[in-house]
Amino acid sequence: MKAKTILKKNKLLVLVALVYMGLFIVMPEKASLAIKNSVYYLIEMFEVLPVIFLLTVVIEAMIPKEWIIKHFGEKSGFLGNILSLILGSISAGPIYAAFPISKMLLTKGASVPNIVIILSSWAVIKIPMLANEVKFLGVSFMGVRWVLTVIAILVMAWLTGKLINRKELLVSITDKAKPKVGINLDYCIGCGICVKMLPEVYEMIDQKAFIRLEQVIPGNMVLIHKTVEKCPTQAISINVD
Amino acid sequence: MDIYTLSFWGISIALMGLSVVKSKEKTFEAMKKSKHMMGNMIGEIIGIIFIIGIVLTFIPPESIKSVLGSDDTTLATIIAAIAGSVTLIPAFVAFPLVGSFVDVGASIVPAVAFLTTLTMVGVVTFPLEKKEFGVKFALIRNVFSFIAALLIAAVMGVIL
Repeated sequence: MKAKTILKKNKLLVLVALVYMGLFIVMPEKASLAIKNSVYYLIEMFEVLPVIFLLTVVIEAMIPKEWIIKHFGEKSGFLGNILSLILGSISAGPIYAAFPISKMLLTKGASVPNIVIILSSWAVIKIPMLANEVKFLGVSFMGVRWVLTVIAILVMAWLTGKLINRKELLVSITDKAKPKVGINLDYCIGCGICVKMLPEVYEMIDQKAFIRLEQVIPGNMVLIHKTVEKCPTQAISINVD
Repeated sequence: MDIYTLSFWGISIALMGLSVVKSKEKTFEAMKKSKHMMGNMIGEIIGIIFIIGIVLTFIPPESIKSVLGSDDTTLATIIAAIAGSVTLIPAFVAFPLVGSFVDVGASIVPAVAFLTTLTMVGVVTFPLEKKEFGVKFALIRNVFSFIAALLIAAVMGVIL
């Protein structure tokens, strides 16, 4: 059972492993070349992902939701766009490194256009890369490309914001990885501690606590974990599969 | 590791220390959450990296030269943009490669299209983007980025 879920979770990895096995049988030279080519990217990944992990933890633990909403949220305006552009530009690592950070910011209140700006500028605009571009293609080439790219990113962000609203994006994010929170009604004594701690998520009906499942989103998880600890009869449980 | 990445390590470790000092409890909660989020991604990222290895083996960076040097600029631009979308070449390889071509007198339009889709459009990373942000978002972002790359290339051809 467990092996099956591991397989299911890593479908892509299994598929790639199979392709490599086939390649090693048919074209062993090409296969070892492919492995060699991958090594550079693997090193890059190990250089960057730990930093990304630390940063997501810091954002989650230290930066209050209100601050994110104010600076990156729907009403942050042009200044929010500029801030997103700077954040993306000073970053390190390939575009996939931007996914966890962007996701974290989104669940904490950043707007869709600003997420697009962060992802795109993270991918294209890098300070060390700009220096490299100047070296091989000249200042005017780099400068013009930079200006045009920034304009394109801002237009794209605005358009994407018109096509997808934040709620829709949040739903598509949380659906799959949704942790299951449940209350054992036999244990619940209706003390109301959880409702007091987190009225967005819990409500009291007939002396028993109930959960609003649509509120079980990553942004609320830290507080939900706390209610699990505080529940005097340990009636609340979280299943993260 | 270059200085740039190294300074990122320094900054994040310092921030992390600050976070632990400020609130141990909150930091550990956040760690649990991030571990879960990143744990879900890591298998996919490693898979993608090995796909990149295969792509680079069968479409080596040098093969872009024949595209960039084509006489039909419009066609070359479109092919270059597609090539940039499916491959992932490190920037320090891509810039000298493209630079050597522009120096010889090739049109910069396909070159710009290639450089822009190379970083902004990710066909290989699409499965991951889809998983993290949903199909609609990933599709919109990549299609827009592709179009943007063509437009940027066209405008640069006019300006420079």
